[in-house]
Amino acid sequence: MATKLLLDKAHIPGIRSFEVYRREGGYRSVEKALKMAPADIVEEVKKSGLRGRGGAGFPTGMKWSFLAKPEGVPRYLVVNADESEPGTFKDRFLMEFIPHILIEGMIVSAFALGSNTSYIYIRGEYAWIADILEEAINEARRNGMLGKNILGSGFDADIHVQRGAGAYICGEETALIESLEGKRGNPRIKPPFPAVKGVWDCPTVVNNVETIAAVVPIINDGGEAYSKIGVGKSTGTKLISACGNINKPGVYEIDMTISVEEFIFSDEYCGGIPNGKRLKACIPGGSSVPILPANLLLTTTKGEKRLMNYESLADGGFATGTMMGSGGFIVLDEDQCIVKNTYTLARFYRHESCGQCSPCREGTGWMEKILKAIDEGRGSMSDIDLLWDIQRKIEGNTICPLGDAAAWPVAAAIRHFRDEFEWHVLNPEKCRTQNYGLAHYADPIHVPVT
Amino acid sequence: MAEEIKKEAPANFKVTIDNITIEVAPGTTILNAARQIGGDVTPPAMCYYSKLQGSGGKCRTCLVEVAAGSTADPRPMPKLVASCRTTVMDGMVVKNITSEKVTDARNGVVEFLLLNHPLDCPICDQAGECHLQDLGYEHGKEGTRYKFARRTFKREDIGPYIQLHMTRCILCYRCTYVAAQITDKRMHGVVDRGDHAAISTYISKAIDNDFSGNMIDVCPVGALTDKTFRFKNRVWFTKPVDAHRNCENPKCCGKATLWLRGDEVFRVTARKDEWGEVQSFDGKTGWICNTCRFDKKKTSDWTIEGPTAISRHSVIGLNKYETLQMPKETVKEVMHGQEPKLLMDIHSVSGVNKPGVDLSKLQRPAVSTDFNNGKQGS
Repeated sequence: MATKLLLDKAHIPGIRSFEVYRREGGYRSVEKALKMAPADIVEEVKKSGLRGRGGAGFPTGMKWSFLAKPEGVPRYLVVNADESEPGTFKDRFLMEFIPHILIEGMIVSAFALGSNTSYIYIRGEYAWIADILEEAINEARRNGMLGKNILGSGFDADIHVQRGAGAYICGEETALIESLEGKRGNPRIKPPFPAVKGVWDCPTVVNNVETIAAVVPIINDGGEAYSKIGVGKSTGTKLISACGNINKPGVYEIDMTISVEEFIFSDEYCGGIPNGKRLKACIPGGSSVPILPANLLLTTTKGEKRLMNYESLADGGFATGTMMGSGGFIVLDEDQCIVKNTYTLARFYRHESCGQCSPCREGTGWMEKILKAIDEGRGSMSDIDLLWDIQRKIEGNTICPLGDAAAWPVAAAIRHFRDEFEWHVLNPEKCRTQNYGLAHYADPIHVPVT
Repeated sequence: MAEEIKKEAPANFKVTIDNITIEVAPGTTILNAARQIGGDVTPPAMCYYSKLQGSGGKCRTCLVEVAAGSTADPRPMPKLVASCRTTVMDGMVVKNITSEKVTDARNGVVEFLLLNHPLDCPICDQAGECHLQDLGYEHGKEGTRYKFARRTFKREDIGPYIQLHMTRCILCYRCTYVAAQITDKRMHGVVDRGDHAAISTYISKAIDNDFSGNMIDVCPVGALTDKTFRFKNRVWFTKPVDAHRNCENPKCCGKATLWLRGDEVFRVTARKDEWGEVQSFDGKTGWICNTCRFDKKKTSDWTIEGPTAISRHSVIGLNKYETLQMPKETVKEVMHGQEPKLLMDIHSVSGVNKPGVDLSKLQRPAVSTDFNNGKQGS
């Protein structure tokens, strides 16, 4: 049985309420943290090796230590709950069922960072969860966990919930800050980074919901203990939201030592693929990370089993690897069409591009149109090369990572599934009624003997 | 106004752009350092406008490669950076036209910008002084790889003097910065997102402000056009002259460029520098008010100073306004001591094209009969 730090109490009836959460040992970390020096809390988080759970995997402790601390200027903690990546729904589960773990983590983090006012920026579609969070904040306030001089420590803390208006781009930290300030959600040009100039030009830390929730066990048990879970630089536990062609879709907490194969096929997690179908491909970290065919997904080119952690998933770079991302694990069986899947993703990125910088604004729409043509049997061979060229010219040339996020899935689909694209071009009639199927995508790859 | 080129300021950061080293003041952006060098090493800029705060970073045409961050930290930057928003560091090494990566990315950006652009230059008032046209000439490819319908919008009047032709817009956001910083309140902005994002007023004809006309001057393409000038004349047929008047509006600069044909004033614009930006006078940007721009269309309204200096090697000089520089060599030197000869009455071109006839032997301007079998003349 894997270690559970975040979801261990999720099954307790009434855990959503303050009373039950407190009775089950909640808010212990606040009591402990308020007796510590803020710098020591940052040090504990650094020791824990916690990495940002929003997708990029940047070490949280290091991010916190970058926060500028000029005299007389307020600092802000913003929790990014604008979870909009297709396939990712881990934060939703956490906030909906155990909202107090987020509030608790926020109070501790706010104390460590010296932020008296903190915000939860939640996507507008999570309307009912925003209500749940607001109720949780009110309960915490009534019980003295928020407000002036909490628990007699002299520290004032308050949390506001801000609802977004349904834009994926507002999950990018600087676009989120713009939106939070009431402006159009366009990403800012960095530098300056939010750690220097964030919300209302004040130093700001923006963290994912799961990252902030993970601060609770780190403070309770110590950074040292947290860093012992997992492997290498992938410490602690990670929430994975699994979906697609699996028997048991849902949110799982894993400790990053299990293999991808075990995660998909064991009954403890996804429970295998329904109807006896075979695994074709998987997008392991949310829609923007590169898709991998079954053979590369289960084993690395070194011949090792691929594990569910940051390093192992990224093994081989983008040529033969992928990314941990936000943990939106999408499984595709042999009946799925990669071209259609890529088109669906391209349509999403076209719709969600903010339109500020030209490569992303024009390129995402172009890619979508070409993919639609190929999917409908109207494509040509040169279109595949053109797609490759477009994604290459978007990637790295945009203001924010949305351009990269739009380019990577297309690049990976062409890199690994080029013959399926070619089959669509060569069989314009057939591709509308039939499927390319599994083909050779699960065949063992030749591993050179070293 | 924040990032204007400070030539006189203490220059103590050494930066090398395309192997040319220059000393600039700390806080200068790479683009402005390159503009101090001038010429081909200056990256093109479609959205950056040195007179508008917060502009830049969006069009990505000014991307450059930073081969070395600074003397203290000589690591190269992993990605291409927007030169208009990246400040120089001491010892920074920048590659612009010497970098293949940059050329490749820039060609891509130009292709993206032209993707949904209607290319209706023959009927566009901006043609001849359009930054996108220049960019297309310099970096564009012949033909397009885009085989889908282009995005279109309806034309819209956004005030009594300005027409918005959103189909041509490249979303540089300059006009929104003008509205926010020059006029007393912004009545328009960007609605929607992605490739369907559009400049709009929400309520049509809403823009009514004394300085709204400056939006036309900053627009790099023909998306915002002067309704008093639309379809009246092509810009290359008009003759620009510098002129000024005592404007009653205290915020108005009063110094303008009149675009004449004969004695008729077809158009009034603010005075622009060689980068296509409105010039500064005494440290203040020379924005002009709508009265000067739209209502004073008689030469008697203005004191004319003289012709505007424009280098005319393209339609309207690739839109690079600069002081006219006469070449130092005379024609005689270039022709190795040979005096130029004028050719009068050219009506029979076929008779002229005779390489065997030596014009230098003539003591007077040549006429076409000089070429008749070499009988007349020498």
